[in-house]
Amino acid sequence: MSAPGQQPAEFRPAGTLDVSQALAEYRGPWDRRLAAHLLRRAGFGGSQAEIAAVADAGMQASVARLMHPQPDALPAAPDGDISYGPGPVVDPQQRRTAIIRTQLWWLNRCLHTPNPLQERMVYFWSNHFTSGINQKGITPQMMVDQYTLFRRFALGDYAQLTHEISRDPAMLHYLDGIANRAQHPNENYARELMELFTMGVGNYSEEDVRQAARAFTGNTVDRSTGMYAYNPRWHDDGVKTFLGQTGPFTGDAVVDIIMQQPATARFMARKFLRAFVYDDPEPELIDALAATFRASGYNTGRAMGVLLRSNVFYSERAYRALVKSPLEVAIGAMKMLGANEVGARTLGALAVMGQIPMQPPNVAGWPGGSLWLNTGTYLARLTYLRQLVMFKPAAQSNLATMAMNANMPSGMDPQIYTSPATHLGSPEMWVAGAVQNDPVSVGERIVDTVVQGDATAQQTSDILHYLSTDGVGNRVALSGENFEEKVRGGVSLAMALPAYQLA
Amino acid sequence: MSNRRQFLKQGVGAFAGFLAIDSIFGRAARAASAITAPGSAGVRTLVVVNLQGGNDGLNTLVPYGDPSYYRVRPTINIPAGDVLRIDSELGLNPNLAGLKALYDAHRVAILQGVHYPNPNLSHFRSTEIWQTAAPERIIETGWAGRYLDTAGLPKSDLFKGLAIGPILPKMLVADATDVPTVEGFRMGTFGGTRSEQAHADQILNGSGTSYPFQSPYLSLVQEVEHDANASANALPHLVAGYKPAVQYPATPFAQGLNLAAAVIAAGVGTKVIYVSLGSFDTHTGQRGTQDRLLQQFGDGMKAFYDDLAAHGLDGDVMTMTFSEFGRRVEENANRGTDHGTAAPIFVVGGAVRGGVYGDHPSLTDLDFGNLKWHTDFRSVYATVLQRWLGVAPEPVLGASFDTLNFA
Repeated sequence: MSAPGQQPAEFRPAGTLDVSQALAEYRGPWDRRLAAHLLRRAGFGGSQAEIAAVADAGMQASVARLMHPQPDALPAAPDGDISYGPGPVVDPQQRRTAIIRTQLWWLNRCLHTPNPLQERMVYFWSNHFTSGINQKGITPQMMVDQYTLFRRFALGDYAQLTHEISRDPAMLHYLDGIANRAQHPNENYARELMELFTMGVGNYSEEDVRQAARAFTGNTVDRSTGMYAYNPRWHDDGVKTFLGQTGPFTGDAVVDIIMQQPATARFMARKFLRAFVYDDPEPELIDALAATFRASGYNTGRAMGVLLRSNVFYSERAYRALVKSPLEVAIGAMKMLGANEVGARTLGALAVMGQIPMQPPNVAGWPGGSLWLNTGTYLARLTYLRQLVMFKPAAQSNLATMAMNANMPSGMDPQIYTSPATHLGSPEMWVAGAVQNDPVSVGERIVDTVVQGDATAQQTSDILHYLSTDGVGNRVALSGENFEEKVRGGVSLAMALPAYQLA
Repeated sequence: MSNRRQFLKQGVGAFAGFLAIDSIFGRAARAASAITAPGSAGVRTLVVVNLQGGNDGLNTLVPYGDPSYYRVRPTINIPAGDVLRIDSELGLNPNLAGLKALYDAHRVAILQGVHYPNPNLSHFRSTEIWQTAAPERIIETGWAGRYLDTAGLPKSDLFKGLAIGPILPKMLVADATDVPTVEGFRMGTFGGTRSEQAHADQILNGSGTSYPFQSPYLSLVQEVEHDANASANALPHLVAGYKPAVQYPATPFAQGLNLAAAVIAAGVGTKVIYVSLGSFDTHTGQRGTQDRLLQQFGDGMKAFYDDLAAHGLDGDVMTMTFSEFGRRVEENANRGTDHGTAAPIFVVGGAVRGGVYGDHPSLTDLDFGNLKWHTDFRSVYATVLQRWLGVAPEPVLGASFDTLNFA
């Protein structure tokens, strides 16, 4: 994703919106299909057990559970050293290890979190207030701290998060805040704060950018600790005129003034709707959610709570109306297949699919939507999913050679380094409940597990045909001998269905 | 969207399973031979290089003869003794030795002062403007995509356009043409057993139409599935006969040009290829970053044209650069530069009339600290469309623009 600024074409669902009922509470029927929909949007997809639990609990109880994260036992930081070396000199091997460890730490949180919406919001905020690991002097520790900030404010106060991110070391590096001084302002953060983080273009002037840059001077990062620091000698305490108001503003004052602008709630409402409901949301829907968001004092939890209980969220227009990001494809598949730990080969595959975790292509983040899908990234998705489904842990005796051939940096675990995931559930588990020697029963179970039945009759029949024939078209029975191979093949075929690429 | 879908159903989708592999290759090859024999002159290709992030023009084509340059760039200037001199006023960045060799062989046109009305300093909007050729409004198709839609090219050609890299740039987004996106000589394929591949072909060719759900993205996913399967099957055949005549540098940019040369040499009617290099967004420490990238650019272009020349194709390929904007005239306090406006464009190729076109914008008569542009970027596109690709520019650009004399 190298071209900055590309916006995807808008794909608004067919049909019309009844705005009077759109954000009202959904009281329609509840089933596994909608349970899976909720878990795809408010998390990274569900395991079979999780989908069943949400289907049983009902919408209200399930959303309430998602909205109230409980303390978790997952590591708060990567296990092991994430510095670039013992001294000031960067050790390239150790740098690779540190970056991989940090990326895998977060992906494993996405996979295992008992609070899927919380981690999903971390993903949302990381693609909103963007920074890139190992870019512009950003260390893995700074990224861990930034993601921890996003987790603290996942469903919290957006205005306060905007204040906090203005002092975040990774952000201060990423958008040149550390170079912004009274004597020589740097406009990078001030511009993106308004263009991409709060109001959007058209709501401020070039002069507002210059004035806001002056206000943020003084914020910096202590070189020895990597922590936020304020240097009053670098702060421009003169009078600024910003969005029509005049005073000796600081960065916090600028954020406060931005939060007084109606454009801010609208900008964020549109972003929530595009991330969680569908693309190109109707202006009246944006206005309705913006009113809720602003009235709540920018309480993200309030806006998300309304959205996840709403008629529009469970409507046919919103169902499968978004394109899965590579991260959703990978984590969702691992949850479905019962993976116990994300391996480094998943990182390589994600890069080819167009998404390096913790490293968005530019300050606007991953644009997503139609831009996730082209011939190259599509093949990368299919190739990765097939590798994952076919994965069996390598024999211990081969691991060292495999790791060496794959250029493993020092300090990595060979099993983690050479695998897409370290261990998967069994094909028997994937089709639990099916009659194991009946290809129709197994095939229908596969289509249900992978896409909740969202296939054409022809596609289901293609998969059944695969399960019941050999390579040259002769009928074969499902037996203990070919069961595992056939289920793996059938699942990877189902993952090639259009529905699987859609969230 | 529905047009593309329709075409695919009639074209690629008409062949089932394994048949599709050879049939598609056969169709592409037949379509190509109908135009010209592979490798022979006559098929003109445009390669567009995106110097993404905003390349600083002043340290690319250096106005070393203007004392103002050294005043506005006290720490990041290119010393007069280092520039690769073009005349008594201008010289190239010393890392552009590869490009300079092409310039000396009269294969490079340098177009100065190119930009668009009411410059926008956002990377995002500015990139979009360059790629859509629509400065005043937001539109969904790219200028090269509209060219592919209107050029009357054979529908069966899979590789009319090609994007090298992980994304399809907006420049190549079209209403009726699908442009494949590839990252290397081998695209991934479904793989697996013969039975799995056959059933995958069946599924990827879109079996059935009656889905139990609606989605605004469903037709797009189906189209991409078709094209992904078809081009993955076809690409290895297309490039099988090609051997590079030079050693390309090991940079992703040069490797992308190597792939471009292979596809051009295959002679399957490829008209537009997109490659990108970056990021040139040098707010801090500009010299190191920009020098390294310019070297990748110059050395890559030299290898590309040497290779094309060895294949007798250098006269058939024109390469044009763009960048969303140049940078602020005055350097900032971080030995970098902030977003600016006008910058030079390079046009390279055997059929290019080499030389420098247009005046260097003044370094003292500025527009809020930025250079004043004098040549509308759509004049460059109009020239390439009319004089190189041989089509009327107006249907593509939506208006008439003067053409330039570099082609």
